[in-house]
Amino acid sequence: MAANNSIEWRAVCEKFRLAQELSEIESKKDPENNPFRSKYKARDLLKEIHCSLKKIEIEEQGEAGDEADCESSQTADGEPEDGFEKTFTGDSAAGLRAARLAVLQYHLGVNHIETEELSAGELHLMVCMKLIDKCTTTRENVSLFIHVRNQLGILWAGRDEIEKAQGFLEIAETMYLVYMKEDGQPPLDLQDFFVPEGEELSQQEKIRRFEMAYTHTLYYLAQVYKNLQQYERAAQYCHSTLQRQLEYKQFAPLEWAINAATLSQYYITKTRYMEARHCLAAASVIANLAGEIPSEAAAKESEAESEKREELLQKRAEIARCWIKYCLNLLQDAKKLLEDNIGELDLDRQDELKRARRNEEEEKEKGRKSAILFGSSDTFDSICSLEEKVSSMLPLEFEEARSIFLVGQSYVTQAKEYFAMDGHVTDHIEILQDHSALFKVLAFFEEDLERRCKMHKRRVDMLEPICKDLNAQYYLLICRQLQFELAETYYEMMDLKLAVADKLDQPDVHTIKKFNHLCSSSMKYYQMFLDSTRSPEGKFPEKLEDDLLRPALVAKFRVARLHSKLISSNLATQMENLSLSLESYNFVVQYCEENPEAKNAVETELELSMEMVSLLPLKINRIRSTLASSK
Amino acid sequence: EANTNSDGDAIKVFVRVRPLTQGTGLSTDGDHSLCLTVSSPQTVRLHCKPEPRTFTYDHVADMNTSQEEVFSSVAKNIVESCMNGYNGTIFAYGQTGSGKTFTMLGPSELDNFSDELRGVIPRSFEYLFFLINREVERSGGTKSFLCKCSFIEIYNEQIYDLLDSVSTSLFLREDIKRGVFVEGSVEKYAASAAEAYQVLSMGWRNRRVASTSMNRESSRSHAVFTMTLESKETGQEVVNIRTSQLNLVDLAGSERQRDTHTEGSRLKEASSINRSLMCLGQVIMALMDVSNGKNRHICYRDSKLTFLLRDSLGGNAKTYIIANVHPGSKCFGETLSTLQFAQRAKLIKNKAMVNEDTQGNVR
Repeated sequence: MAANNSIEWRAVCEKFRLAQELSEIESKKDPENNPFRSKYKARDLLKEIHCSLKKIEIEEQGEAGDEADCESSQTADGEPEDGFEKTFTGDSAAGLRAARLAVLQYHLGVNHIETEELSAGELHLMVCMKLIDKCTTTRENVSLFIHVRNQLGILWAGRDEIEKAQGFLEIAETMYLVYMKEDGQPPLDLQDFFVPEGEELSQQEKIRRFEMAYTHTLYYLAQVYKNLQQYERAAQYCHSTLQRQLEYKQFAPLEWAINAATLSQYYITKTRYMEARHCLAAASVIANLAGEIPSEAAAKESEAESEKREELLQKRAEIARCWIKYCLNLLQDAKKLLEDNIGELDLDRQDELKRARRNEEEEKEKGRKSAILFGSSDTFDSICSLEEKVSSMLPLEFEEARSIFLVGQSYVTQAKEYFAMDGHVTDHIEILQDHSALFKVLAFFEEDLERRCKMHKRRVDMLEPICKDLNAQYYLLICRQLQFELAETYYEMMDLKLAVADKLDQPDVHTIKKFNHLCSSSMKYYQMFLDSTRSPEGKFPEKLEDDLLRPALVAKFRVARLHSKLISSNLATQMENLSLSLESYNFVVQYCEENPEAKNAVETELELSMEMVSLLPLKINRIRSTLASSK
Repeated sequence: EANTNSDGDAIKVFVRVRPLTQGTGLSTDGDHSLCLTVSSPQTVRLHCKPEPRTFTYDHVADMNTSQEEVFSSVAKNIVESCMNGYNGTIFAYGQTGSGKTFTMLGPSELDNFSDELRGVIPRSFEYLFFLINREVERSGGTKSFLCKCSFIEIYNEQIYDLLDSVSTSLFLREDIKRGVFVEGSVEKYAASAAEAYQVLSMGWRNRRVASTSMNRESSRSHAVFTMTLESKETGQEVVNIRTSQLNLVDLAGSERQRDTHTEGSRLKEASSINRSLMCLGQVIMALMDVSNGKNRHICYRDSKLTFLLRDSLGGNAKTYIIANVHPGSKCFGETLSTLQFAQRAKLIKNKAMVNEDTQGNVR
């Protein structure tokens, strides 16, 4: 080891400090036409240090050249040695010498990579690897082991050799884990090799840097696994990256929160609601750490405040929208589980699931929970208490469903505040569509038909005004979605009214009027949807686009049914309605005859349409003869 | 014929191969070996190893194709649709030096309107005003048109107004009636092709000025020229107003678009982890793209460009992408990625569907 306080050594340390400064700070100010000026200067300094190190070594040791480590560039010979061929222990004098040279090689490697000389950079990194691979892993070199492998991982991924990158990074991961298990003391940072005595980093800073290097390893592995299409694993590594950032306080609150909220959406697609909820609760809590939202007045005063306000409001609204999806999917998944073949609540199934739930819930949750928790000591409790506000279990009855619905609805209100119609049309409508979907799935759990009908009415009330105002030239797809949804909602209400009326002996005039109104409203929106597919000249397409095929034929089919449902005491009107109904049924049948590939898309509807096409004419004829005889 | 199907095949792709040139200062100068051949008016064969690959598009134009031919196949229909109330968009995509600006504008410093080499944009102006005048004449004065132009630049995800060189960055907004628009951008009226061209060249000059004073390269920004056409028809006491938009877009050089999906397997670095966090989100997002039709929310917004033109990418609009490629063998990598992008573009269609619920509705 060099005498830590010699004048020469102080000069070396000063050079190293300068090289770091040039590379990290000065280089940002380099002119466009000479972008790597400071990096080149830093490189020269590093090379000088390398030379003087050699010199000091020779002077002190007197016994030069223990290995073939003369000059860097021509030494990448042979295979890297395996673990069992370690020559020195990492903390021996020889081990430290090797590590010190390796640090320089590492910096030279990174420097070359940053100046777009990848192959030269690779060479230096490999020399670095060889030097430390001769030593056992200790506190002195473990950090370097991880850093150099991170760099090699990035390098090889850039060359599209993902497996090679994966190899380096996975070794780094293992090394960290083994070191933490066997030693765990704060390791030396790369910088610690080149500071005069007494100026070493604090223990705390050493830990921070070491843990950060490992966080980076995990973060690169997340990307590697994504590129290898190992999605489950990639998600797991994203999760760990987030978790570690929080633990070691290495994060920007808003970005962290958005990442966690995004991860929750991944868990939703995998129906893992407990994990999704945890991510969301953490996202909400951490987003609050980003500071107070500047008031409107403050925003008017200064641009910085205005930007901050905009950003905070937007990110919080985004997180609210992720919560909405959580509630919605939880309800919808429960519905799927509980419904029978006509979409009604299956009571037997409900009992069965309730029983099953009592038995398994506890043990299942215990097993998974410990693996996924986020939080540093200060945030952990707030995250848990936010979690408690909404269930992560599939609701099995109305009350449970309702409490999830209410949470979802409160996030709807919150999200709409930022995503107002004026300025954010698409987002605003998407939120309303979610709100409508929340009502729709809540209605499934409601047993009282009148109350259920009222829930659907709420959907109509929120969607109908927009559907009227929205410009179809710019929002064609959304218009179609709204038209279709309104048509379906009215259809559903019509069905419910029918079910209610069936229980009465004789429906009164008011009920009939109401019923007919629902029928015509539904028809109106189906028709608007169908009309949206026409050409400017008003022609209906001969061949429907793939993504419109099923909706359009279903719309025709529904229109046909609705025409036949209309109630009228007037025979002539009855006959007319039935004829219109027949016409629409015919359309479905004929379209499928001309385009056989459509048959699969509307199997059930086609079957019923064919049946109706053969039955309706009889019915119509019967009315016609009654009419004729009554004249 | 262009109008029979309102949303069929929303995006068409035209590939244009530029001629080899010398003395342009490009690194490809003097290299005479080609990496591709135009094998038919719809196909191009790229000389890959070990097997050549053939790509198919709506149209492939070889080195000898004239500007007039490009205009007729790409822009004519779109301009006509605009007269009928459709929105239309023409994109030029490709590597720097592959001929995007030549295709769209023509040779640089062109003020001569009759030049044979003038590009798609001036020709579109001429054709649009030719159609307008014809329509006005035919209607006997019951129909009138109003044409407004705006010209913006998107650089580093910020929007600048090229018709107002002192403006700071602008915001995108959405309105229930007029769709997505740039709030506060200058709109200039144009009553003839010459006036429209004047607006264009004024903005174009600003774009260049910006490239020196602020150290930006024009090829790193997207430029969007938008013409809003309003037609007014007066019948018996009813006034019928229709508007449509024509967007002419010169995209940044494809090699600069690091943030698009063309990136391959490169890892994002974390030299400063805060900067890289956005990317972690993108990793997670990529995992969800293979989801099972679940209804989820993505917090990361579209880029400004795709948001502004969202209607053109798989919506209710006529869209043509001109993919410009350089045939030199040195450009092989870029050309391959341009051709692949162009092929993917054919698949861009709105993934969202009409939300038809298939469960339990046949009773």
